[in-house]
Amino acid sequence: MTTFSMTDTPRAGRAIAALGALSAVLLAVATFGVFLVAPEDAASGVIQRIFYFHVSVALVSMLAFMVACIAGIVHLRRGGDGSDDVSLASIAIGLMLAVLTVITGSIWAKAAWGFWWRWDDLRLVSFLLIILLYAAYFVLRGSADESRQARFGAVYAIFAFAAVPLSFYAVRTARSFIHPVVVTSKGADMPGTMLVWFLISVVAFTALFVTLLLVEVQQRRAARALEDVKRRLEARSATPTGGH
Amino acid sequence: MSRVRQLRALVRKDVLLEAHTKETIVAMALFALVSMVIFQFAVGQRAGDSSLIAGGIIWATVSLAAVLGVGRTWVPEREQRVLDGLLTAPVARLTMFMARAIVLTLFLLAVEVVIVPLGIVFFTRQIAPSDLALMAGVCVLANLCIAVAGTLLASMSVFSRARELVIPVLLLPALVPVVIAASGATQAVLGPGTQLAEYLGYCRFLAVYAAVFSLVAYATYDHVLDD
Amino acid sequence: MRVRGVAHAFAGRPVLAGVDLDVAAGERVAVVGPNGAGKSTLLRIMATLLTPREGTVAVGGTPYPEGVRAARRRIGYLGHDPLVYLDLTAWQNLRLFGDLYGVDGLDDAVPDALARVGLLPRAHDHVRTFSRGMAQRLGIARMLLHSPDVLLLDEPYTGLDAQGSRLLDGIVTGASSGTAVVMVTHDLARAHALCGRVVMIARGLLAWDAGTADVSHDQLAQRYAESAG
Repeated sequence: MTTFSMTDTPRAGRAIAALGALSAVLLAVATFGVFLVAPEDAASGVIQRIFYFHVSVALVSMLAFMVACIAGIVHLRRGGDGSDDVSLASIAIGLMLAVLTVITGSIWAKAAWGFWWRWDDLRLVSFLLIILLYAAYFVLRGSADESRQARFGAVYAIFAFAAVPLSFYAVRTARSFIHPVVVTSKGADMPGTMLVWFLISVVAFTALFVTLLLVEVQQRRAARALEDVKRRLEARSATPTGGH
Repeated sequence: MSRVRQLRALVRKDVLLEAHTKETIVAMALFALVSMVIFQFAVGQRAGDSSLIAGGIIWATVSLAAVLGVGRTWVPEREQRVLDGLLTAPVARLTMFMARAIVLTLFLLAVEVVIVPLGIVFFTRQIAPSDLALMAGVCVLANLCIAVAGTLLASMSVFSRARELVIPVLLLPALVPVVIAASGATQAVLGPGTQLAEYLGYCRFLAVYAAVFSLVAYATYDHVLDD
Repeated sequence: MRVRGVAHAFAGRPVLAGVDLDVAAGERVAVVGPNGAGKSTLLRIMATLLTPREGTVAVGGTPYPEGVRAARRRIGYLGHDPLVYLDLTAWQNLRLFGDLYGVDGLDDAVPDALARVGLLPRAHDHVRTFSRGMAQRLGIARMLLHSPDVLLLDEPYTGLDAQGSRLLDGIVTGASSGTAVVMVTHDLARAHALCGRVVMIARGLLAWDAGTADVSHDQLAQRYAESAG
């Protein structure tokens, strides 16, 4: 069991504050650059600018699910609450980012084609599947006994991450296997300045992910430590004599 | 040698239980049949040529029936309170997993023996005998996929509250790729003119799916059943 | 059988706090204690059904969690439930467990085991049609089928009929000299009569350990009352 040491709290707090500030600055810079500096896309106009966020958020959510999977593997190998905290928090954040991906994608679809939803927009459809896949993680955890939540969560984090590429691929072949829908060309040919702003927003969202992850992990550690203290107080009041 | 013997004993046990109670397969087949009728009235009625959606309806139906089958995994052990007896036996957890997956594959096959021919009769005009052999191939591959993923997920929900709610939510998102590929392969057979290249492509995808999840199951199964 | 420093907790609440227990081959030990003291948890850990948070258990030379499968082969476990399938026949049940334990010559071993618990005439009936006592007797046959070195019994007399109780008494006292028996029970009189040692578990710890040869049943009951508090 991890013991909660009081000494590392301020340090962890400072690290989180610093990272949070960095993510805020990066996000501000990315927003500024994307809307005011990056060249306007000739074909689709201003709405194309949402694409920077749409794709960055999608990429970082995949990163989050990968972190969750790795943390799950670590948990199964070594046990401990820390890796479970990381896995759980990553999936929560990744799921949130996946929902953002679908929302921004839907806005893009509305602006570009006039409908909120297109079943032939592969990123949209794939992320809908991803959301269903990872939402189930919380259903599983919620229904498992407390003693099994971490273990089953880890197994499912691995299971779901294995399902991700298969789902992406299957969606592409849904109409025909031999002539799959090719990777959508939007954004494939980006001029240099666009690419720079795109990369900055990816970094910004990655920083945001790491910040949120640390906050969430720290929060769970604190909750567990509190629980521990409560239990010890209870145990002490149960045996007022104080002897063992 | 002893592993094979244990595996055979575990599979035989489930077949004997099913032969005695006849609960699972009958329920699965009836459920699949009624789902097929519902799909027909929900979408088939307005699709001009129903042979274009035959594959989709068959596999949507089978995947729903699979939820029932997966949900029954470990239920005799729980209801008849034998779980401790199996877990104290010197059986590798992987052997238990394989036995479950084999049994689930067999149950699904039993359902498909009824459902697939009926689907073909309901939704297509004619079919060549050689196409039936191709269909059998899809069934076996898809069943393996469903069985491997389903067994792993079912083993995690044995111990959970409200498992009948948890299993569909866990299983169906993971089965979407299987439904896509199996319907694709079926459509390649039942649609106008057999398209062998399409068929083989989808089958290859199913094989990869089964292999990937077998690996995942192999790596994690010990952590699911042991406390 | 050797238990070393076994500790366990459920949802953070300690149930066992470091228990050591040695059971020699042929020894018969009763584990007693108030409800919730952790005796069933201890037995489930010994039966490999629970992995302890701390400590190890060993049967012969194989400590587990590591050597768990070799250990399982040498353990016979019987709980409140008979641990047999209600929708299989008595014969099919024993056949199944015989295969799982790798017992040789099942065609002879199964009828012998059934005859021993008086169920041979009902061999091909489904267990669902059995009375509770008959099912529990089948459970005894299942436990003995692979000739275990250690019998772990968790309140085995609950649900057992008179015939079954006599049978189990005979099995516990008449176990071959190499077979050890560990029995969790509420029944102090039976513990005193059948077992050579009585071990008291209270608040997750081993409170005391007494031979029954030099203690009368009344003395035992008094000590029990004292430590149960």
